[in-house]
Amino acid sequence: MTVAENLFENLRLELRRGCLSLAVLAQLRQEHYGYTLRKALAARGMEIDESTLYPLLRRLESQGLLLSQWREEDKRNKRFYRLSPEGEEIFTRLLAEWTAINESINNLL
Amino acid sequence: MELLDRYLEAVKKHLPAMRQDDIIAELRANLESQLEDKEAELGRPLSPAEAEAWLKQLGAPMQVAARYRPQQYLIGPALFPMYWFVMRLAAVWAMVIYLIVNAVQIAVRLSGHFATTEAATQALIESIAGALVRAPFALLNAAAWITVVFAAIEFAVAHDVVKLPPGARLQPDWNPRDLPPVQADSDGGGKPRSYAHAVAEVVFGFLLLGWMILIPWHPFLLLGPGVYALRGLPYTLAPVWWTFFWWIVALNAVQLAWRCVDLLRDRYQGSRLAQHSVVKVFGLIPMGILLSVNDHAYVLLRDNAAGQPQLGVPLEKLNDGIFKGLLVIFAIATAQLLWDLSKAGFRRWREHAGGMR
Repeated sequence: MTVAENLFENLRLELRRGCLSLAVLAQLRQEHYGYTLRKALAARGMEIDESTLYPLLRRLESQGLLLSQWREEDKRNKRFYRLSPEGEEIFTRLLAEWTAINESINNLL
Repeated sequence: MELLDRYLEAVKKHLPAMRQDDIIAELRANLESQLEDKEAELGRPLSPAEAEAWLKQLGAPMQVAARYRPQQYLIGPALFPMYWFVMRLAAVWAMVIYLIVNAVQIAVRLSGHFATTEAATQALIESIAGALVRAPFALLNAAAWITVVFAAIEFAVAHDVVKLPPGARLQPDWNPRDLPPVQADSDGGGKPRSYAHAVAEVVFGFLLLGWMILIPWHPFLLLGPGVYALRGLPYTLAPVWWTFFWWIVALNAVQLAWRCVDLLRDRYQGSRLAQHSVVKVFGLIPMGILLSVNDHAYVLLRDNAAGQPQLGVPLEKLNDGIFKGLLVIFAIATAQLLWDLSKAGFRRWREHAGGMR
């Protein structure tokens, strides 16, 4: 990878990193477990590595934005996540922030 | 799948102990679902090579486990500027204290009895060499202790062992009025002095001062083997030379102290013109003392009763020659000082005139 491509890749990842939490909170307005969440995000154009997504879910839960529950499905114990009440409030505010940033960028371009 | 079990076991080893089982159970459920989908797509189980490629794409077990830990710093970004500032300060002071302690130790060692001058010289060289070799370890020691202390503070704050009061900051309060003035270009233009250069100047300044202080007791340091030849001559230096010598030592000490203060106050990149000018002005004083000696008696006879030995040049002419030489040096030093001051004055006038337009 050339220096310029390396630089672009780093900036691209930085840009995506900022959007990941918002994307995960948006999708968890419906209940998912880790793998189905990843598939749902990928289906909507948001590819996330397992090694990024699963720890992120734990972190968002430790911050009080998600609630989780172990449940058996298809003879397998899975951990299902959904937005907590605080998570819904934070998501609404983050979405407004995202919309404002989007508008600012569009004005700049 | 046996390979998946081994992979999960490897990840588990690097997870925080309290949450290992929970995290692995969740990871297993997710990865087994993913594996099922892959096998359903292929219509068959994964081959060993395909399973290896899949697990490799997930990432090394240690890296996967590390993402479940919170981001950890030895010394975090909030504390690092203070840490780096203290480290730089400590490097200077550690060197200063180390040099002073070693200079005293060497002086005490050399004040003892030695069978011959050669033995004393060897002891001096060994002591200085040993001090120089141990110097980097003294710096490393200071750096290690400072790092340990700051790492402990970072740990205490990050883990709430020490709770900072609300509104408290790790950085000291600062006032724009206390900021140092804008640094002028280094004398003669060109790149400003680097921190390493400034520290090296201070370190070698101390070494030079230590060497000068030892000269009266060990003239060998200045004259080398020539000191033995001089001892055989019927001449001796007049006491005024000791006055001159101690003035030079004092000027060096003042200049060194000035450099230390500049370094501590982060002004080492500034102009040295003021410092050089002051040292040159005060440097004219010992020259003046030498020039004012009665009858230009710079070199005296060891034994007046023996009469004046002839060594090609009568003593009177020798002293007269020394006087003329000193006069020329004094004139050159004065002219150089006046030239530097007038250059600096002209530059300031030009900057002032340029700023007024």
